[in-house]
Amino acid sequence: MTATVTDRSARAPSHRSRRRAGPLARRRRRAGILLSIPAIVVVLSLLFIPIGQAVYYSMTTWDGITSTWIGPQAYVSVLHDPTFWRVLENNALLLLAVPFALGIPLILATLLNEHVRGWRVFRSVYFLPTAISWVVIGVVAVQFFAYNGLLNHLLALIGLGSLRTDMLAGERTALLALGITFIFSMIGTNTIIFLTGMATLDPALLEAARVDGLNGRQVFLHVTLPLLRRFVQFAFVITVISAFSALFSLIFVMTNGGPGYGTTTLEFFVYQSAFSLGQFGTAALYGIILFVIMAVVGLVQLSVIRPEDGSSW
Amino acid sequence: MTIQSTARRPVLTGTRGRKTARRIALFVVMVVAAIVMLYPFYYMLNNAFRTAAQFDQQIGHSVSSWGRLFQDLPVAREFLNSTLICVVAIVIILAVSTTAGFAFAKLRFGGSGVIFLMVVAAMMVPLQSIIIPEYVNLARLGLVNTYAGAILVYAALGTPFATFLMATHYRGISDDLIEAAIIDGLGYGRTFLRIALPLSIPAMATVAVLQFIQIWDDLLVGLLFLQNPQQRPITVGLAALAAGRSTSIPALLGGSFLSAVPAIVVYLIFQRYLVKGLTLGMGK
Repeated sequence: MTATVTDRSARAPSHRSRRRAGPLARRRRRAGILLSIPAIVVVLSLLFIPIGQAVYYSMTTWDGITSTWIGPQAYVSVLHDPTFWRVLENNALLLLAVPFALGIPLILATLLNEHVRGWRVFRSVYFLPTAISWVVIGVVAVQFFAYNGLLNHLLALIGLGSLRTDMLAGERTALLALGITFIFSMIGTNTIIFLTGMATLDPALLEAARVDGLNGRQVFLHVTLPLLRRFVQFAFVITVISAFSALFSLIFVMTNGGPGYGTTTLEFFVYQSAFSLGQFGTAALYGIILFVIMAVVGLVQLSVIRPEDGSSW
Repeated sequence: MTIQSTARRPVLTGTRGRKTARRIALFVVMVVAAIVMLYPFYYMLNNAFRTAAQFDQQIGHSVSSWGRLFQDLPVAREFLNSTLICVVAIVIILAVSTTAGFAFAKLRFGGSGVIFLMVVAAMMVPLQSIIIPEYVNLARLGLVNTYAGAILVYAALGTPFATFLMATHYRGISDDLIEAAIIDGLGYGRTFLRIALPLSIPAMATVAVLQFIQIWDDLLVGLLFLQNPQQRPITVGLAALAAGRSTSIPALLGGSFLSAVPAIVVYLIFQRYLVKGLTLGMGK
């Protein structure tokens, strides 16, 4: 009761101003609702409602024809499925690629930011693979990692010919090949993010740090990197999200999840369970687990960035 | 590597000669990186001009694999399909994101803040999490294996980020400008169409370029919602070709290269917008 009263008194001024605006405010409100309805309908019907349906499906044994309700128990039984853990392990191992997918672009951006002659051309070149489909990158990667491919030739050239293998034929080596291809595919995007960040830095600040006697590495570690924090976080989140939910094309073309479950990640497992094995219920369940992981990543991102950035919202 | 060499440079005492040497070292590293990034393009083009036998030997060139490609893959048809799907989906995304972005930024109404956050939060929904209900729903509506089904899915996936981007953009437009238009009797609908929309063409270009590359390059949606060879986009055709046992690798590489050309052209022309869109995700 008291809460309502204080609430009302707090709002009083805005009420008065709204009443003063009268019919104009009402028209504005109506226009606002009308103009936002199409987006709301699209997002609601094609994204939010399906999430709800997926939760429901995940608690059934639906195979496309018959469906039995098992309830939350479904989530417990999946924890006893060794294949599920194998798939999660692949996801976890792929996260080891993230530092490389950030580190290499950080180096490239630093180089570009030196603005040597022709740096704009190099920038375009580094970003170019970002434009092409990961289907295409996968097609080339298959040939690159093949027994007769460039990788094995390069290894032979530097005297490591004994390492020659068909990388895509072994479970662990195939995952490694997938991880390397993933790193390559992320380089363009992350380089541009870092380069944009570096462009926002005040050159006078870096110069001051140099004058104060810091060497290049110290300037980078203690001045540049902390100032790039937001950009590094953003690139980190994009990369982690991609590792979990954007590898489908690469996996489909390079390994089809194999050999065995060697390169099956959670997102690919969803596809495989539903459209190869016909286990729609289980597939929906994996999809929900994937969603929860993504949501956690997103919330962590928000909570890390919010305090500094509250004003921009 | 190069960061270390930077570190070793005594900044204030560095002679001109050392500075030049450093620049050359930088340049060499950048060239090497450029070769790595360009390698896939070179590889595709070089080997597309080989017969299967020449490919195995990695010697000689020929144009015969291109004939094979056009025999195995209805390239023109699939390009048309990809284009159609991209264009219609982008038009829908632009229509709903500009209107909603304007409403959320300039016509705030009760609950609009929460709704905006919900729409933006939908960015976090991975397609794989909803793919099964999506498939079931569209199948019930008879939209699987129709362009409309795939277009709707792409439109839905693109809308949250586009709305976020447009709202961010409209926040930058002065309230006074909008109010002046209203006082002049334009009405909210026409104020949006005649004042706000023309001012947001750069932001719309950003959305269109980002979405074009995303949709043109996508595989999963086409794979599930357009299984009919007559309607499938080029990426699905390529993936099917890649999965085939008797596929000619040079033909596959030629098709892959061709499929990349439109996205590369769009990228080269609109690079500026693409870069802007990528970093706008940060809210700044």
